[in-house]
Amino acid sequence: MSRTILIIKNDIKRRLKSPLSTLLFLIIPFAMTALIGLIFDPGAGGETKLPPIKVLLVDLDQNIASKFFIGAFDQKQLKDMFQATTVSENEGEKLMKKGKASAMIIIPERFSLDLADQKSVRLVVVKNPSEEFLPAVVEEFADTMAVGFSALAQIFADEIKIIKLVGNTSLEKISFAELTPFLEMSRVKIMAIKKFLSPLRIGLKTSVMAKPGQVSKAKGFNIFAYILPGMLIMFLLFIVEASMREIQSERADGKIRRMMFSPLTTHELMLARIFSGWLLGLLVCSLAMAMGALVFGIDWGDYFWLFILVAVTCFWSAAFFGMLNAFFRNKNQAGALASPIILVSAAFGGSMLPLEQIPSSMRWLAGFTVNNWFITGCREIGAGAIPLVSYGVLLVSGLLFGLVAVMALQRRLTT
Amino acid sequence: MQPPILEIKNLSKAYDHGKNPALVNFSLGLNKGEVLGLLGPNGAGKTTLISILSGTLRDFSGSVVFKGMDLFADRQLRNQIGIVPQEMAFYEELGAMENLMFWGGLYSIPEKELKKRAQDLLALVELSSRAKEPIKKFSGGMKRRLNVAIGLIHQPELLLLDEPTVGIDVQAKVSILDIIRQVGLQGTTVVFTTHQLAEVEQTCSRIAIMDKGIILAQGTLNELIRIVGEKDIVIVSGEFSADRFSDAIKPLIHNDIEILSITDNEAHLAFANSEGIPGMMQHLFQQHVSLADLKIKSPNLEAVFLKLTGRSLRD
Ligand SMILES: Nc1ncnc2c1ncn2[C@@H]1O[C@H](COP(=O)(O)OP(=O)(O)O)[C@@H](O)[C@H]1O
Ligand SMILES: [Mg+2]
Repeated sequence: MSRTILIIKNDIKRRLKSPLSTLLFLIIPFAMTALIGLIFDPGAGGETKLPPIKVLLVDLDQNIASKFFIGAFDQKQLKDMFQATTVSENEGEKLMKKGKASAMIIIPERFSLDLADQKSVRLVVVKNPSEEFLPAVVEEFADTMAVGFSALAQIFADEIKIIKLVGNTSLEKISFAELTPFLEMSRVKIMAIKKFLSPLRIGLKTSVMAKPGQVSKAKGFNIFAYILPGMLIMFLLFIVEASMREIQSERADGKIRRMMFSPLTTHELMLARIFSGWLLGLLVCSLAMAMGALVFGIDWGDYFWLFILVAVTCFWSAAFFGMLNAFFRNKNQAGALASPIILVSAAFGGSMLPLEQIPSSMRWLAGFTVNNWFITGCREIGAGAIPLVSYGVLLVSGLLFGLVAVMALQRRLTT
Repeated sequence: MQPPILEIKNLSKAYDHGKNPALVNFSLGLNKGEVLGLLGPNGAGKTTLISILSGTLRDFSGSVVFKGMDLFADRQLRNQIGIVPQEMAFYEELGAMENLMFWGGLYSIPEKELKKRAQDLLALVELSSRAKEPIKKFSGGMKRRLNVAIGLIHQPELLLLDEPTVGIDVQAKVSILDIIRQVGLQGTTVVFTTHQLAEVEQTCSRIAIMDKGIILAQGTLNELIRIVGEKDIVIVSGEFSADRFSDAIKPLIHNDIEILSITDNEAHLAFANSEGIPGMMQHLFQQHVSLADLKIKSPNLEAVFLKLTGRSLRD
């Protein structure tokens, strides 16, 4: 045991002595958060990488404001993001029950008229309960739209009164596209005064199909809280793998041979290596999560349970890659095989695509990835729960891998 | 006489599922306090031997007895052996002192004692003044010296060095060989491998020549030289192919002239009587073999090596 500690101490000393490589690892979380910011920052005009989200629109109003709203989904940018279908309320409910769409937005009756009267109105967002991520995006979007409509209604209060004059006559002729230049012009004005608009004329009422009546907090969704864990676990795997590859280089440059000549045993060595990888992963992960909280305002939930999750995930990663590197013949083999393993597990485990969007026929594969357990663990903690299943799965499989790693290293070092 | 400290018997090891033999019934005895030079060209099996002795290579046959006990049955026994691998096996980002403390620490030597030993060793390898510098900044020779020092930190009774002088300049080599001699004088038994003749000639109390996994000859320098006898070694060079030279020299081969080796453009011959040299030159001239140079040397280890292996010992 004292020899294990000696190696760990030596590793830490080395990391401190050549801070550049360690810094490089630590920079990754920063680069990662910056990257996410770039991709998803609407101000940068970047395209979201998500495939179109299926949305059902129910127009009970059938008036100018609702046409406006529905017309908005025909806009080019929004078309890339949403695949909107206008349906009747009955039809919509049926489709939602079948899980055919991520969310349904209901524009209530008198939406236009109430807006014209400066009364508070509500958009109703019905979310698909089996999905978490995509409905939340719809909700976020509807929220933004509501703010925009609110603004319009207040700034153009007089003009909107036309609605009342026109009454219920058909307004098919007015298209959203024709009005776009006008909207564009007033956008600056809208943005500037947005914060003075209060109270908002349009509220957002959210409900989840399975549990009617439960209204989620309008501000509860943070898109980064959904994206960061997935990216983080993928980068974490790369980082820990790179540090576990030390097993290979130390074997190649004779250090392990020299160690094996001393009383040091293979399990002492493997234990030290796993601990070092764990420590590095923990550092990187904590840093990235702190960045997420500071930069993107992510509310991770209880930090104690989060720490436990990060700790077991890092342990799993170190043990797993310790095992692979003990199996691998040399550094090249490790380099060639580790990356595909990480990428495949990222693809099936929810790092590249949100778990909800993985076709259900392949969804079961997620259970075999560390990504899945980490991501769902983060979500559960964020929702105020304790992810006992994630803890259990990661800890047990991590211990197993650690054990196999010791045996594999023993074989590798003596043949 | 004392029993040997190390006795290797019929050690055989083949790589690639037996297709590539590296050691073939290799046997060697070693007496306490000896400095043995194991001389062999690249691929002779030197590193394979050291790896087996260090316990990092399995699937071999044969036995190794160290101090009267089976070396592989007892891990603690192996801890009494020091190894200096062919590679620079230490942490380059750390200093020399830090490395010695780490590697010594693996042997659970008390810290105070360890520190003293480390200082003594740094003095031995002349690195005391640069003990704290990161090793990255060291020259090749300094790194080699530290590599030796680390192998000695636990005061082993037997020190194995695998090509400790490879890839460094002449001066650095001299200094390494000097260290090896000093270690030998302090009573440590030493085996070092090399493919450089001059090194074993200067350093060792005993020399073993190996090639293709077996020992071809062993003994003191003088004993080995007697293998080629009291002959003059003639090295001729010129514009000729190995085949051409072989054909041309064939009629002259009798007891007085012996072929040690023939390669393109160079041939080594042993003459029992140097009076035969002009006759040989004349014969070659008649055969239209043009010679550019001819050297005559007294018998040396190189000649022994050539005779035993039929090939030259170059990097
Ligand atoms: N890991 C290995 N796998 C397959 N063949 C090897 C391996 N190591 C050495 N060999 C072969 O075994 C022979 C002896 O190699 P080695 O012991 O390294 O020689 P030396 O150290 O004297 O140069 C060579 O033919 C070499 O190609
Ligand atoms: Mg070698």
